[in-house]
Amino acid sequence: MDRRWIPILLLLAAVVAGWNLVAYTVPQWEQAIVVQLGEPVRTVQEPGLYFKLPLIQNVLYFDRRLLAYDSAPKEVLTKDKQQLLVDNFSRWRIRDPLQFYRTVHNEAGGQSRLDDVIYSIVRENLGRHTLREIMNEKRTEVMAEVTKESDAKARDYGIEVTDVRIKRADLPEKNEQNVFNRMRTERERLAKKFRAEGDEEARKIRSESDKEVQILTAEARKQAEITRGKGDAQAVKIFADAYGRDLDFYQLVRTLEAYRNSVTDGTTLILSPNSEFFRYLKQLDRPKER
Amino acid sequence: MPNPNEFPPDPLVEIQKIFDRVRDRFSHRGPARFNPWLIVVIGLLLYALSGIYIIAPDERGIVLRFGRVVREAEPGPGYHLPWPFEEVMKPAVTQIRKEEFGFRTVSVGPPARYRDVDPEALMLTGDENIVKLQFIVQFKVKTGATGATEFLFNVRDPEATVRDASEAAMREVLGRNAIDNALTEGKEQIQQDAQKLLQHILDEYQVGLEVVTLKLQDVDPPDQVSDAFKDVISAQQDKERLINEARGYANDVVPKARGQAAQLINEAEGYSAAKIQDASGAAQRFIALQQEYEKAKDVTRLRLYIETMEQVLPRMNKILLDDVAGKQVVPYLPLDQVIKLKPAEAGKQ
Repeated sequence: MDRRWIPILLLLAAVVAGWNLVAYTVPQWEQAIVVQLGEPVRTVQEPGLYFKLPLIQNVLYFDRRLLAYDSAPKEVLTKDKQQLLVDNFSRWRIRDPLQFYRTVHNEAGGQSRLDDVIYSIVRENLGRHTLREIMNEKRTEVMAEVTKESDAKARDYGIEVTDVRIKRADLPEKNEQNVFNRMRTERERLAKKFRAEGDEEARKIRSESDKEVQILTAEARKQAEITRGKGDAQAVKIFADAYGRDLDFYQLVRTLEAYRNSVTDGTTLILSPNSEFFRYLKQLDRPKER
Repeated sequence: MPNPNEFPPDPLVEIQKIFDRVRDRFSHRGPARFNPWLIVVIGLLLYALSGIYIIAPDERGIVLRFGRVVREAEPGPGYHLPWPFEEVMKPAVTQIRKEEFGFRTVSVGPPARYRDVDPEALMLTGDENIVKLQFIVQFKVKTGATGATEFLFNVRDPEATVRDASEAAMREVLGRNAIDNALTEGKEQIQQDAQKLLQHILDEYQVGLEVVTLKLQDVDPPDQVSDAFKDVISAQQDKERLINEARGYANDVVPKARGQAAQLINEAEGYSAAKIQDASGAAQRFIALQQEYEKAKDVTRLRLYIETMEQVLPRMNKILLDDVAGKQVVPYLPLDQVIKLKPAEAGKQ
């Protein structure tokens, strides 16, 4: 290689090195403060290319994005003396990197300070409300209030708290057991109710049909008796009309028929030869003169 | 035609020969005597070409100049100023990401296997009951102009943000619902409300994500009380069963009774009709007889009498006693012995 290229390459290296000493870029997702001999002199919150004095100034970068804060679940006492295991999370960002750097130095410091701030505010706010309000009616309001207060407090550390939310709110083990017991008894009550209702309905249906059966057959019996009565009456009338024509003759015919029907084999009859039928056994009458 | 006795030329040897020839050509001209500007030009050219980039169809390009966003690029080829002036980031934006809550897919299968994560799944309902709820959230980078930029630069760890926000949203929505609602017809509404709330939270964070869908998987009572809940269901079925059995009883008994009633009435009607017919038959017969009797009273009377006697007497044991004798004898007559005699024999006596 030609020797005259060496200075050119050296110059190039010097330019690159020098460039890095005086220029710095702040990317879209970061912000920076420039520190001159340990003294912060400038805050850079817009991304782009910036220049600084070489050697005596250096740049500290901080995240500009929304950051997560997630605490370990903590016990909180509600207004109605219920223990609640609250796992809340928060989203925050470094609003003022200079202030942030001065007060908490770095993100880990910020997190632990947030922990103190948010936990005390959460505990205080949840303590002012009943479990029902926290879980249900006023959750949004309560958490909005917590967010507001946390944000106000965190401003001292150059932090903006955009949102604090309850991720989980569970009952501690013992209370949980109570809830399970209550749920179970409630279900048992429901089950009993359903079975009793079934019994009730079934009894109604059965007795109703029994009733219907009774009425139906009784009505039928009544109808049958009436019909039979009518038939009997009709028959009586027919007999009366017919036999009334000659009662004597009826008596004769009917009596004779009754003889035929009532006399069975072996009936013993003691008769007198004087009777009408046997009178010829004794003597023959002369024909009557007419 | 190649001579079969000659070996074919060895390719390695051939390449070696080419190298040798090239080396020979340069070596006699002396070391590195080509134009230095050529190197500079080629170097600059290569440097300039390093700014060419290609955005895949599922990606979106974000071009940064000194770390600041200057433009977004659609899929396809593009060019940016070479490093250190500009650079390009290519997040996958069409990809639909999925997060699971209350369970994890252990293996996709088939058959897929899942593992419950109860601490995540157990939630308090509005009426202070506990329900076991599993759901998934599918989300993707917003398609709008700023979606990719927001996704890349506004929030650190967007996935974790989605997880936190989803859990918070679901629990908040469930806190507004009673357990029975959550277990039954309220699911659809809960799903919609939670999705809406989640989207609202994400929009507040400007994380550049869009919730594609939030779906409830299983909503069950907790394992500790599931027996009791199952018993309620079987109680409901018991209720239905009891009612059905009763209806069956009614369906059995009432028609039978109707049949019985009809039978009773028919029997009565039959009886009645028969009675009347019999009566009028007998009456007719009597009238006919009587009419003839009218014509010859004595004869008929006698005839009827004698005919009857004729029929009646043969079947009887008869003892003829004179009136006078009868008065004395009857008390001593061994009636029982007389009765024992057969009619024929009795006749002979």
